[in-house]
Amino acid sequence: MRRLLSHRHAPALLFAAALTLPFVARAIEFSFLTRVGGVVGLMMLLSLGLNMTLGYVGLFDLGFIAFYAVGAYGTAILMRAHVPAPLAAALAVAAALAMRALLGVTILRLRGDYLAVVTMGFGEIARLTLNNLDAWTNGPKGLQVRPWRPLAFLGAIPGLEFVRKESNVQFYFLIAAAVYLAAEASRRLENSRVGRAWVAIREDETAAQLSGIPVARYKLLAFTLSAAFAGLAGSLFALWDQFVTPESFVFWESTLLVAIVVLGGMGSISGVLLGALLLGGIPLLMEATLSPRLIDYRYLFFGLILVLMTLFRPQGLLPSARREAELSS
Amino acid sequence: MRARTLAAAGAWILAAALSACGPRDHSVIIAVAAPLTGDTGAEGQGIKRAVIMAVEEANASHRFPYHIEAKPFDDRADPKEAVNVANLIISDPRIVAVVGHYTSGCSIPAAKVYARAPIAMISPGATTPEVTLQQTSPDWIGPRVVFRDVATDDVQGAAAARFVYSRLGLRRMALVHDKTPYGQGIAEQFQKTFQELGGTVTSFDGISIGDRDFKALLTKIKDDSSRPQGIYFGGLYTEAGLILVQMRELGMKKNLAFVSDDGAQSPVLYEIAGDAADGAYLTTIGVPVEQLPSARDFLARYKKRWTGASEDIKPFDHFGYEAANIVLDALAKSGPDREKLLAVLPTIRHKGILGETVFDDKGDTLNKIVTMTRAHAKDRSFPTVK
Amino acid sequence: MLAQQIVNGLSLGAIYALIALGYTLVYGILAMINFAHSEVLMMGSFAALGAAALAPSMFGTGVLALAGLFAASMLAAGALNATIERLAYRPLRRHSRLTPLISAIGVSIILQNAVFLWVSDQSLAFPQPLSGDAFTLPGGAQISALQALTLAAALALMVLLHLFVEKTRMGRAMRACADDLEAAGLMGVDADVVIAVTFFVGGALGGAAGVLYSMSYGSTKYNLGFLPGAKAFTAAVLGGIGNVRGAVLGGFLLGFLEVLSAGYIPNGAQWRDVIAFSVLILVLLARPSGLLGERVAEKV
Repeated sequence: MRRLLSHRHAPALLFAAALTLPFVARAIEFSFLTRVGGVVGLMMLLSLGLNMTLGYVGLFDLGFIAFYAVGAYGTAILMRAHVPAPLAAALAVAAALAMRALLGVTILRLRGDYLAVVTMGFGEIARLTLNNLDAWTNGPKGLQVRPWRPLAFLGAIPGLEFVRKESNVQFYFLIAAAVYLAAEASRRLENSRVGRAWVAIREDETAAQLSGIPVARYKLLAFTLSAAFAGLAGSLFALWDQFVTPESFVFWESTLLVAIVVLGGMGSISGVLLGALLLGGIPLLMEATLSPRLIDYRYLFFGLILVLMTLFRPQGLLPSARREAELSS
Repeated sequence: MRARTLAAAGAWILAAALSACGPRDHSVIIAVAAPLTGDTGAEGQGIKRAVIMAVEEANASHRFPYHIEAKPFDDRADPKEAVNVANLIISDPRIVAVVGHYTSGCSIPAAKVYARAPIAMISPGATTPEVTLQQTSPDWIGPRVVFRDVATDDVQGAAAARFVYSRLGLRRMALVHDKTPYGQGIAEQFQKTFQELGGTVTSFDGISIGDRDFKALLTKIKDDSSRPQGIYFGGLYTEAGLILVQMRELGMKKNLAFVSDDGAQSPVLYEIAGDAADGAYLTTIGVPVEQLPSARDFLARYKKRWTGASEDIKPFDHFGYEAANIVLDALAKSGPDREKLLAVLPTIRHKGILGETVFDDKGDTLNKIVTMTRAHAKDRSFPTVK
Repeated sequence: MLAQQIVNGLSLGAIYALIALGYTLVYGILAMINFAHSEVLMMGSFAALGAAALAPSMFGTGVLALAGLFAASMLAAGALNATIERLAYRPLRRHSRLTPLISAIGVSIILQNAVFLWVSDQSLAFPQPLSGDAFTLPGGAQISALQALTLAAALALMVLLHLFVEKTRMGRAMRACADDLEAAGLMGVDADVVIAVTFFVGGALGGAAGVLYSMSYGSTKYNLGFLPGAKAFTAAVLGGIGNVRGAVLGGFLLGFLEVLSAGYIPNGAQWRDVIAFSVLILVLLARPSGLLGERVAEKV
C-alpha cells in the first residue's frame, strides 16, 4: 500500500481516477455521488490546510473553521458587490491569509493547549461576530450568492454536454483540481528546507532554536499558509451552495478537522486525504444507505467508528514515513 | 493486514454505494427533510412523526391505488447537509415531493437544488421571507418549487404587537430574541409594528441558543429605568421556558407580561418551565383550535399514534402534517409524477387542521389568521384568549 | 442592580468552577483535554433523573431527596468517567497526546446520541426538591434557595477536593503523577490506579455540577453538557490548566464576565461570549500559562 502510494506517478494517477467520478455517477444514475465527491474534496482541502499547522509544526488549532468562514463570507460579500467570481475568490483567500497572519503574530507565542483554547475562542468569536454584525453579514439570515458556472464551456465538448447545466459536476472538477494542487504544494513544501525546519520545530522547539532555525518566523509561515487552503475551500463552498450563514461554521467542524488530521496521520498527506475521505464520506454514505429506521443512528455509528479507528490505528491510518521511523526507533 | 482492512473497508463502501442505487421497488415516496439528530433533533423528529402519520392515514383510507411511503432525511439543521440531502433526494426518482426543510438556513440553499430537478418542497418551518422570495430574483435558475404552509415572520410579529398594544394596553416592551432567522425576524417585525402603533421598545437583545442562564439580561430589563411592562420573546420553547423560570426567580412574573410566538407553544414548555409558564401569551397560526374540529382531532390522533416518552407534539408538527396532506391532495390530482405534482400545487385549496391553505404566486400561504393563546399550566394546555 | 448581578455571577460561576475542576484534574495528570467531560456531566444529570423516577417516594422534597440526587449523579458520573478512561484512553496512553482527544470526541458523540435515541430527544423536567421562590437579600438582590445551595455545594466540594488532594495518601500520589508520571511509577505509585481515581473524582465533580446545573435551570437534555463544558474548559485555561485553585478562580471570573457583559454593555447579551473569549485571549497574552499556572516546559 505504502509503496503504491509513494510511487512517483501515484498522485497524478489518483487525480485522473478521481476525475472519472461524475461519469461513473452518471452511468449508474446516482448523481448524489458527485456531490459527495465535492463535499469530501472540500474536507480534503481544509484538512491539508490544518495539516500544515497541526501536522507539520504541531500547532494545535481548534478554530480552523474560522478561516473557512472568512473565505466563504469574503466571497459572498464581494460577489454581492459584483466583483467577478475568480477575483472575489482570490481576494477572499488574501483576506483569510491576512487575518491568519494577524492572529498568528498575536497568539503564536502561546504553547500547546493554551494555543488550542485561544484558537477555539477565536473560532467562536468569528462565528458570533458573523451572526451579530447584521449590517454586514445579514446576521443569522445569511447571504445569498449569485450563481457562477465556472466550467460551462466544457459543455461544448462532445460527450460532455451534460456538464453545462450540472453545477455539481463543474464544482467537482474545480475542487478536485484544487485538492490536487494543494496536495502537490504540500508535498513540495514538506520536502523543502522550510518543511524540514517545520519538522525540527515540531520535534523539539528548543533544539531547533539552538541550531539556528528562526522558529517564530517559520511557525508564523506555516500558520499563515494553512489559511490559504481554508480560504479557498470556503470560497468554493460559497460559490457552489450559493448561500452562507453562520450555522455552517460551528465548533464541531473544527474538531472534525482535527480528528481527520490526527486519525489520518499527522503530517502525512496521503493519510490526511484518506482521513478526509473516510470521516467526510461515511456520514453521507450512511445517509444514502441506512434504512429509515436506522437513519437516526447515523452519528451514533459515526462516534463508534471514531473510537474504534483511534483504538485500532492510534498512529494514524497512513502515518508519515518520517514520523513512523522516529516512533519505531 | 493493513491492505486487507483497507480492501474490506473499500468493498463495504462500494457495496453500500451500489445498494443505494440498486433495484428499486415501486412505491411512491414523500421525502421528509428535517434535522433528525443534533441540537434541533427534537423539532425534526416531531415533523417526521407528523408526516408519517399523514401518510399512514392516506394509505389506510385507500385513496390511492399505490402504496405511499414517508422517507426521512437528516439535514442536522446544517445548510451544507441540507444541500447534500437535497442532492440525494433528487437522485431518487421514486420521490415525488419534499416536506422540508425545517430551518430557513437549510431551506434557502436546498431549494436551489430542488429547482434543478425540479421537485416541489413545502417547508413546515422556514419563516424567513427570503425562502420563497429568492425565486423571484433574476438569479433564480429553474422553475418556482418552494411552498410553505407556515406564515412568514411579519405575520405573527405584527399580530402580537397589535394584541399587546390594544388588548393588553401595554406601551413599553422589552424585546428578546434567540439570534436565529426565526426568532430575530419575528422580533424585528414586532418592533416595527409596535412602534408604528405608538409603543416604545425599551430594549432589543439577542441571546444565544444553548445558553441557559439569562438572569443577567433579565435583571437588566427588570431594573431598566424606562420601566418595560412586558417582554416579547422571538424564539423557541426551550429558551422561552428558561426565561419564564428565571423571570419568576427574579420576582418579575407578577409585574411583567410575557408574550411569545408559536415556536414557544409546545407541551415541552411545561417540562422546562413548570408552573412558571402559567399566563404566558403565545400566538399561533390558524383559527382557534376550539372552532376547528379537525385540529382537535389531530391532537387526539397524534397523542394516540405517538405515545413514546419524548413524543410530545412539537410546535411545527401541525405544519408538517398539513404540508404532507397538501402534497397528498396534489398527488391525488396529478398522479405520481414530480413535474405534474409541482404544476398542480399552486391550484390546491386545502382545508385541513390550519383552516384553508392556498398558496400565493410566490408559494407563501394566504392563511394568515393569528390566534392568541395563553398558557395554562395546570392541565398543560393553551386555551384561546377570547 | 449590581447586588443582583453579583448574585447571578456567583451562582453561574460556581457551576463553571465545579465543571472546570473536572477538566483540570485530568489535565494535571495526563495533559489531556477530556472532551467527553461535558457528556459525563449530562449523564450524571440523567442518572439523577433516573434515580428519581425509580424511587419517586424517596425524591420528594427536602434534604434526603437532594442527597439522593447528588449521590446517584456523582457515583454514576464518576464510574462512567473511570470506565471511559479504561476503555478509550488508557490503550492510547503511549501514543501522541492528541490521539486520546479524538477518542474522547468519539465517546462524547456516542453518549449524546445514545441519550438522544434511547432516553429522550427533548427537555425533561428535573426534580426540584427546593422551592423556586426567591427571598430578598439586604441590598435588594433576590436569591433563591437553589442559588444559595448551588453556591454552598460548589464551595463545599471544592474544599473537600482541596483536602483530598493535599492531605490524603491518594492525593499525594495524584500530585506525584501530575509532576512526573514515569518517575511516580518508578517510586512505586501504581499510575493506573491513580489515574482511574482521578477520573472518578473528576467525573463525580462533573456529576455534581450536572445536578446543580439542571436543577438551577429546571430541566435536562441530551446536549445539556456541551456549552457549560466548553465554557468551563475555557475557565480552567483562564485560571491556568492543571491548577485546582486556578480552575475555581477561572470559573468565577468567567461567570462574572458573562453576567457583567450581558447586564451592563448595550446589546451585551448577544456579545457576551465574544467578550468572554476576547478577555481570555488578552489574559493569556499577558500570562501565557493562565492566571495561576506555572510556566513549565512543553510536554508533547
